Amino acid sequence: MEFNVSFSGLIIQFLVGLSRAMILFIVSSGLSFILGVLRVPNVAHGSLYMIGAFTAHTLAMAAGGGVVGFWLAIFVSPLVVALISLLAERLLFCHLYEREHLMLLLFTFALALILGDLTKLTWGADYRSLVAPPFLQGSVSVLGTPFPKYNLFLLAVGPVVAVGLWLFSSKTKVGKIARAAAVDREMVGAIGINVSWVFAFAFVLGCFLAGLGGALVSPTLSITLGMDHTIIIEAFLIVTIGGLGNIWGAMVGSLIFGISQSIGILLWPQFAIVFPYLAVVIILTMKPTGLLKSVW
Amino acid sequence: MKKERISWIGLLLFFAGCALAALLPSPAAARDIKVGIVDTYSGPAAVFGNDALNGFKLAVNEINKQGVLGGKIVFTTRDEQFKVDIALNMAKELVLKEDVDVLVGTINSGASMAISEAVAKKEKIPFIVWTAKSENITGKAGHRYVFSTAENTAMAGKSAAVAFAQKPYKKFWIAGDDYEYGHAIADAVWRNLKKIKPEVEVIGKTWWKPGESDLIPYLTAIQAAKPDCIIFATGGLSMANVLKAMKTTGMENKIPVWIHTATDQSVLKPLGMNAPEGVMGTIQYHYYYPDLAANKKFVKDFQAAYGNPPGFPAFNAYTTAYFIAEAFRQAGKIDKEKFIDSLEGLKVDTPVGKVEMRACDHQAVYPMFLGTTKISEEFGGAISSDIITLRGAEVMPTCEEIAEARKQK
Amino acid sequence: MLLLAPFFVTRFYIYILSVIFVTALLAMSLNLLVGHGGVYQFHHAVFYGVGAYTAGLIAAKTTWPVWIGFCAGPMVAAAAGWVIGLICVRLNKLYFGMLQISLGSLIWIVALRWYSLTGGDDGIHGIRMPEILSSTVNVYYFLLAVVSVCLVAMFLIYNSPFGVTLRAIRDNPQRCEAVGINVRRHQLLAIVIATFFAGAAGVLFVVLEGSIFPDMLFWVLSLEVFIMCLLGGGFTFFGPVVGAAIMVALRTFVGSVTEYWTLILGIVLILLIFFLPEGIMGINFRERARSRSRRAAARASEGADAAG
Repeated sequence: MEFNVSFSGLIIQFLVGLSRAMILFIVSSGLSFILGVLRVPNVAHGSLYMIGAFTAHTLAMAAGGGVVGFWLAIFVSPLVVALISLLAERLLFCHLYEREHLMLLLFTFALALILGDLTKLTWGADYRSLVAPPFLQGSVSVLGTPFPKYNLFLLAVGPVVAVGLWLFSSKTKVGKIARAAAVDREMVGAIGINVSWVFAFAFVLGCFLAGLGGALVSPTLSITLGMDHTIIIEAFLIVTIGGLGNIWGAMVGSLIFGISQSIGILLWPQFAIVFPYLAVVIILTMKPTGLLKSVW
Repeated sequence: MKKERISWIGLLLFFAGCALAALLPSPAAARDIKVGIVDTYSGPAAVFGNDALNGFKLAVNEINKQGVLGGKIVFTTRDEQFKVDIALNMAKELVLKEDVDVLVGTINSGASMAISEAVAKKEKIPFIVWTAKSENITGKAGHRYVFSTAENTAMAGKSAAVAFAQKPYKKFWIAGDDYEYGHAIADAVWRNLKKIKPEVEVIGKTWWKPGESDLIPYLTAIQAAKPDCIIFATGGLSMANVLKAMKTTGMENKIPVWIHTATDQSVLKPLGMNAPEGVMGTIQYHYYYPDLAANKKFVKDFQAAYGNPPGFPAFNAYTTAYFIAEAFRQAGKIDKEKFIDSLEGLKVDTPVGKVEMRACDHQAVYPMFLGTTKISEEFGGAISSDIITLRGAEVMPTCEEIAEARKQK
Repeated sequence: MLLLAPFFVTRFYIYILSVIFVTALLAMSLNLLVGHGGVYQFHHAVFYGVGAYTAGLIAAKTTWPVWIGFCAGPMVAAAAGWVIGLICVRLNKLYFGMLQISLGSLIWIVALRWYSLTGGDDGIHGIRMPEILSSTVNVYYFLLAVVSVCLVAMFLIYNSPFGVTLRAIRDNPQRCEAVGINVRRHQLLAIVIATFFAGAAGVLFVVLEGSIFPDMLFWVLSLEVFIMCLLGGGFTFFGPVVGAAIMVALRTFVGSVTEYWTLILGIVLILLIFFLPEGIMGINFRERARSRSRRAAARASEGADAAG
């Protein structure tokens, strides 16, 4: 309540919140996709996001930092994360598909615990710092106030991923099969498609997105253990208010989350972080199934 | 019922096992001195915990060559994960189960205060705080069983005031971690600054959750308000994030910033050549200053053993080990009360000269170094430049002030 | 036998047993809903935390006698359970769970950020307990007494008509609706009872440790309690007690040996999911279920023969 709310300040906060929402969207769209097709909330999603960030750092450093390292990190680390998730899925997860949902949920929790400690084992406890490539460093002046260039980059990347996902799920065969499996898996199985492979695909794609989110966010904060816990609760809530399994719902939820928090910082910094949770509660009390239609 | 029987058998076995383990005689006390360490070894603050442990290990190796009272110093560590409740559990376990002679730790001021109150005072075991800095540890909440070998926020606050005395800043913004240390350092700095320069004012305050990973929205909001200077009250968890965010939002060299321990090696090293310049900071140890022979040797040995130069946690822990060894030697036997009596007023040799453990409040007396970060090719990163030294006696609260604060509690 | 323990073991083990008592009560309260009621209570820790914070705040911040806090804790927790339950019980299964996580997280974040009231991230520690409750041994007996009373109460509920109805709802909610049972109201009542006991566990924690902190309201704790129920056996009565004992023992003893305790926990959980989903106590249960279904099948075929 001590901020003098200037117009330029408001715009800047709005843009910062928007760019943050893009990261949230990328991560929670993956969670939503998995939830839609497998009907299981992936508790390990946060750990995969964290691994994405650590891997991005390692890859960028291995390539000597700089522009090449950065792009390498952005493109390759989600693939690494996807590979890890594929291993987990094929070796362990797929054997549980016949079981109760509760077991699947607990499996993802166990996976989260294991991946969390494996991250500590692999990378140690020190924090890491990845720097954006020079052309994305520094800030531009928006209405007289500095706005980080990297956040502009995020503002561009977010919609690209969103459109890509949409095109994928509605125009490609694989995407359409995945959507069908979300609604009625028995039917999909009945027409001869291997449902287990559909699930595998959905899980890996979702985790790929988590890794991408982690790689993209890494130049903006220090990469540490514990990143998984913070992001998973946010992603969960976003998916819940957006509508379970609905990708556009994830976008709406992310926008609400990101912007309410950053505008909140301007108005009431102490409790700014509570604003998104409050918004969640209000939305869910009025519309418990989420703002947009859930996939099932 | 049959199924209940299985559970009773299981429970019976479990308890029998526990009872057996409890009754077995502990290994014969050759009487090494047992030190229990509670610190953060995972998460963003782990870099400080590990630094401290390395410093301690180096000292213990040196000390054990001669030994203390015919035995060695042995230690065991527990990871509190920067959480107060876990720290308490670990401390209780170390005291009740491991039966340690001395408790040592931690970087989290909240955890240190909790351990001091609930474990050290209750179980009557000496607890030496070696990294956490809240002045309340040896001030308001101090007592016979807690010591500090870390500089505290009162000292840092006075130093900061000296740093600002010469600068023209009037409108300040205070931002930091919403926990014990954050509030303590902010209060200390402001208290002292206002005394020297009554015309300064706080135009805003921001407290974020400790360990908040995305500080950019907070910094952009602060920048929009255009303060003359920002005081960041950040602790172990957010130190790295705030320096990073400063660079990303382009705050570097545009708005002056002061952070306690900003000029420390363990904070700046991971940022390498990308650390922000022009950040004012205070610290009580630099590995490159002062250029004393003892310091050079300490740095050389540390570097040889661990591959990088020591930060202030390593220095504090190294000093702590020597305090422990010397106090037991003077006590003549492994007795907690005698240890405390010997420790009060004790002076030991450290890499920066003689340091005293002040008897009236159990606080180690350190000099403070003010400086500004500057990138140096030679060091591969940022170091402190334009260093001003303040003697310990200049910056510490007086014994009378301490007694007054403790009475009010 | 537990009554005599303090005479045989060191203070540390008395302390550990006390921790087990509190954790067992919490696990049992969750199992009332999950194991016996089939309700997807994903964020049970919230009610534990609410009970603890109520008692802790009253003890630390007011001059009222501590006992008021002890009684208020479970009641406030049950009230919270009722309010949140009212909102969530409209929905089924997964929705219920995720909705509860969302609502519970609001309580967590408020407790975390309200530094002046709750101590924020630090929490509040060193809460003073009345003289009789300050020694390790006295606390042990107090906890043993209270937890035993709660378990007896739960046992009575388990065997009451209400308990039977609850289990019927767990197995086949549609049939119960058809028969005229108000499923929602039963579930809501079960939630209130379970959260009352969770709140009681929270109060007992404050008595034992003298601390409150935001992690008590965190979702990770909720999932850990879930694991305890699973570990011990979700369908049996005493299963969660066994599960709680094992978890506390593992956490204490494994935690003092390695810093990768969560890795061990994750592996144990995976082994459990694959090889022992009914938990330790369920081993026998599976046998009985198998023999029961065999007998049922035999009876059915006999009946068919007799009819045919």
